Amino acid sequence: MQRIGIFVCWCGLNIGAVVDMSRAVEAVSKFPGVVYATDYKYMCSEPGQEIIIQAVREHRLDRVVVASCSPRLHEATFRKTLARAGLNPYLLEMANIREQCAWVHQREPEKATQKAIELIRRAVSKVSKLEPLFESTIPVTKRALVIGGGIAGMQTALDIADAGYQVILVEREPTIGGKMAMLDKTFPTLDCSA
Amino acid sequence: MSVTEQWEPKIIGFCCNWCSYAGADLAGVSRLNYPTSIRVIRVPCSGRVNPVFILRAFQRGADGVLVSG
Amino acid sequence: MVAAAQHPNITLFTYAEVEKVEGYIGNFEVTIRQKARSVDHSKCTGCGTCWEKCPTKVLSEYNLGLGMRKAIYISFPQAVPNKPVIDRQHCRQFTMGKCGVCQKVCPAQAIDYQQEDQLVKEQVGAIVVATGYDLFEWEQAYGEYGYGRYPDVISGLQFERLNNASGPTGGKILRPSDGKEPKNVVFIKCVGSRDAAKGKEYCSRTCCMYTAKHAHQVLEKIPGSKVYVFYMDVRTPGKAYEEFYLRTVHEGARYIRGRVSKIYPEGDHLVVMGVDTLLGRPVEVAADLVVLATAMVPSKGSAEIARIVGFSTDQDGFFMESHPKLRPVETNTAGVFLAGACQGPKDIPDTVAQASAAAAKVCALFSHSEMAVDPMIAHVNQALCSGCLECKNVCPYRAIETATVTERVGGKTVERTVASVNTGLCQGCGACTVACRAGAINVKGFTNEQVLAEVDALCL
Repeated sequence: MQRIGIFVCWCGLNIGAVVDMSRAVEAVSKFPGVVYATDYKYMCSEPGQEIIIQAVREHRLDRVVVASCSPRLHEATFRKTLARAGLNPYLLEMANIREQCAWVHQREPEKATQKAIELIRRAVSKVSKLEPLFESTIPVTKRALVIGGGIAGMQTALDIADAGYQVILVEREPTIGGKMAMLDKTFPTLDCSA
Repeated sequence: MSVTEQWEPKIIGFCCNWCSYAGADLAGVSRLNYPTSIRVIRVPCSGRVNPVFILRAFQRGADGVLVSG
Repeated sequence: MVAAAQHPNITLFTYAEVEKVEGYIGNFEVTIRQKARSVDHSKCTGCGTCWEKCPTKVLSEYNLGLGMRKAIYISFPQAVPNKPVIDRQHCRQFTMGKCGVCQKVCPAQAIDYQQEDQLVKEQVGAIVVATGYDLFEWEQAYGEYGYGRYPDVISGLQFERLNNASGPTGGKILRPSDGKEPKNVVFIKCVGSRDAAKGKEYCSRTCCMYTAKHAHQVLEKIPGSKVYVFYMDVRTPGKAYEEFYLRTVHEGARYIRGRVSKIYPEGDHLVVMGVDTLLGRPVEVAADLVVLATAMVPSKGSAEIARIVGFSTDQDGFFMESHPKLRPVETNTAGVFLAGACQGPKDIPDTVAQASAAAAKVCALFSHSEMAVDPMIAHVNQALCSGCLECKNVCPYRAIETATVTERVGGKTVERTVASVNTGLCQGCGACTVACRAGAINVKGFTNEQVLAEVDALCL
């Protein structure tokens, strides 16, 4: 049996002033697999993350839903929190109840609360299907190929070479320099272009 | 069945993480307002949306599906 | 140029083309074709005896047809490397099978008519594409300017060659038809740019400024000269650009807001007919030389480079950046970056800035020996895969490869081809999952089961 924990964030008054927090927490704690649900003013803050870590340990949570801002903002933050709590960081799902709920439905708190609950239900449903994932690494060959020996290619090659890496510069014409070497003076300073 | 004033459609939105999901976030950041009837599912690309997802939404009672990316 | 050629960390391949690119970020294998120069550069001293004695003259591409070169040649006196190649299309040794003059006169025995193209394989971790631009072929589109029939109607780049001290006239502005110094010079801007009907819809961004520079150079080099500039708008968005343009106006360049409808020869000069839209009346200017500010277009062969390296182009053929604001030097192919006008028309300051930005991206990639791969990418269940490879056809990142699995079927061992995902290339878009009829391929973190569970939860 899964042990899902839900952490609903107020984001100060950003979410807290629109969504009825106590109603939301009560509703979502009844979803299947959920063994713990709570809310806090700022879930991303250090004390907020500590609440998640403590709850994971105390309630032996194996999956986490954070209902807060957009995952594009803090997904990476909460993945690290899960790792600190000893869980696989990919057993996290976020419910976006700020950008895509509280902020766009400010004038309809009743409906916003209902929508927040449904968005959390989506997250619970998904989190229950998640599997642990592991990052792999690939080696990097520290040599660059630059195609084109005009001003752009030469500048790129010189900058990379100056940083200490090998560069292969390929030019199809018999000489490098490209169009720029064909020019006379260049605006606005009228420097020569060689 | 007549459409009453209280009736609200249930709309499922599939939004690409890199563009329209970010756009939906931007709508929030800009404090735009829109009806509560849409619920968004984040996908890595609109190309990820299998027609089966859309059919399933309709099967389960959705009134509309928005695929955006 | 010399700095790039002499840098100990830069290996230079000139007269060479990239023929094949395989692999993925951090681990590319590229095949470079070193075209036969017919000259052994390890022996050649660049003394120049060969091209002095060569009997075959050809129009110089480097001088855009305004001068001649030999069949064995360097592009211009300061070329890097400063050693010649033989143009086999024109060299008599190759076209007629006899001549051998350069071989006889070469004191270093560097001439090698038997030299062949060589294929070189190199391993690299990142690729920067900087293939630049070419000029719009106005001769094909602008009949009112004479379709290129009048020798004294030239492009801005040809004007640069006339102005250049290493150019065909030694830096003197002389008109191509009779070598006389022009007194009245007309410049026409937006030839092929901002002209959706005949050319390109976009603005080429550099022409306003180089036309101002050209006008300044005419007024400076030719005493008593008159300069007329036909323009649609004057766009000078850059540091010290507007000041430069105003200086040219104060020096006496006459800017006429309007288009040119016809150019025709009359006696030893050209008549430029246009309209001054600010005064609302037609104008006619007698010109000794007409210089066209032609649009920038992607360089010849750039579509081929995009195909070989594996990234996309925009509707005009310029190379597509990953995001116009947030990822301007990245392509959608990991490990492939863009610099300069191949991404879109731009001037030298912007090109240099973008080149350094691309270099910084490459250096950031090289700062670690290994790179982490996002685990939310496609994964093939090889037991279910039928090997149809539909996924390979739809993958925008060329991340689907093939693998062979060995199975026992009915007591026999059989080999079968299945799809496999290159974890370095896959970006996790999931297009493959939709194409897979067997449901054998899934995106980790966005599997079919997971998304369907979300749909179900929202439709309760």
